[in-house]
Amino acid sequence: MNCKGTELKIMAYLEGNLSDKELQEFERHLSQCDSCKNKLRQSKLLLKTINNTEPFEPEIGHKISFEKMLAEEKRLLIKGNSQKTTFISWKTAFQVAASIVLLLAGYLYGEHNGKMGAQVQITSLEKQTGTLKTEMTLAMLHNRSASKRIQAVGYSEEMKMPENQVLQAIIERLLNDENVNVRLAAAEALSRFQQKTLVKNAFISALETEKNPDIQIAVIQFLANVKDKRAIAPMKRLLDKPQVPGYVKLQVHDGLAQLL
Amino acid sequence: MENLTDEELMAAVSSDNLDCMRVLYDRYHKWIYNFFMQLIQDKDTSADLTQSTFYKAIKYRKSYKGGKFDSWIFKIARNLSSDYFNGRKSNLSQEEIRNIPENETKQEIDEEVAKLRLVMQKLAPEDREVLVMSRFQEMKYSQIAEILGTTENAIKIKAHRALKKLKKLFFESVEI
Repeated sequence: MNCKGTELKIMAYLEGNLSDKELQEFERHLSQCDSCKNKLRQSKLLLKTINNTEPFEPEIGHKISFEKMLAEEKRLLIKGNSQKTTFISWKTAFQVAASIVLLLAGYLYGEHNGKMGAQVQITSLEKQTGTLKTEMTLAMLHNRSASKRIQAVGYSEEMKMPENQVLQAIIERLLNDENVNVRLAAAEALSRFQQKTLVKNAFISALETEKNPDIQIAVIQFLANVKDKRAIAPMKRLLDKPQVPGYVKLQVHDGLAQLL
Repeated sequence: MENLTDEELMAAVSSDNLDCMRVLYDRYHKWIYNFFMQLIQDKDTSADLTQSTFYKAIKYRKSYKGGKFDSWIFKIARNLSSDYFNGRKSNLSQEEIRNIPENETKQEIDEEVAKLRLVMQKLAPEDREVLVMSRFQEMKYSQIAEILGTTENAIKIKAHRALKKLKKLFFESVEI
């Protein structure tokens, strides 16, 4: 072992941390080297001095200042705690939040139900007014005043799809009303329902019975439009009747041209 | 309360039982005071810093999450000493070293000890600190390593070098 290696191990040697083998080598070198012996002596002295250092004693009164500081901190802690109690605790906060949620849920549920109820009511009311209108129309169609009967026919136009009962009543007006204007209004109202067989049948009957040229023309136009072949025979018979005016016959010719 | 371990006491302090700090103070104030004295060698400053250490230990009690109490409070003490040295910006100037009161050193029974204290002040604070911890405070290398956030081996080397410097200074002054 050389001097450098020995010097590195001085502390370990003094603290008894060398292995047997290291210890042997260390002591062998020391016996031959005065310089290292001197270094060891110095280190020994230094460690002894360090160990001789008496711990310092704190000045009297240190405990008093500690107690003062501790008392102050305890006071602050109590103050802090009492302040905290005035705050809303988490439990209360949750309770408040829960009641708000419940209230909101109740409100929404109620509103939803109300809407549903209102919807039901509206539908039933709509149904009621529909029935009322039908009944009123039916009643008015039998009114003695011709203008009221025309008004009643007009009401049917407000209905999207009038019941057959209403259609039947209007057809009756078309075929049997004594007033030409009522029959004409009925013909106009019915011309909207080209798909209904009921209506088509009525117009064919009207073609046979109707004497008024205005109505006859309306009826011919309707039947030509819907291309009902059953109208051909009665239309041809019209041509044979001497009392039918020439302009009606002209309309019949036009109609027949569309149908054939 | 006196039968409890340091860690049990500090856990109690951490949950606002401040009176437990009194027991810890009795156990550790001297050790911490000596750390400051070895480093700074000023009674008033060391007493102040010791008080500050326990004050901070109470203030930051919630940051104690178990673990060795002595390491934890020593970290606080060490931070305070670093703040102290950073505040002074530089190490003691040569003049200040010469101004370390003569009468105090003369009062020392052991002249060697007086000399040792004098040369300790000539060391860089970093070297002085590691020597105070390992030699004067008799802390294990592993504990110092944990406090300083480094490895045990690095501390061993550091302590060895610091001791070598101390030895050199000590025997130079003997020769004077």
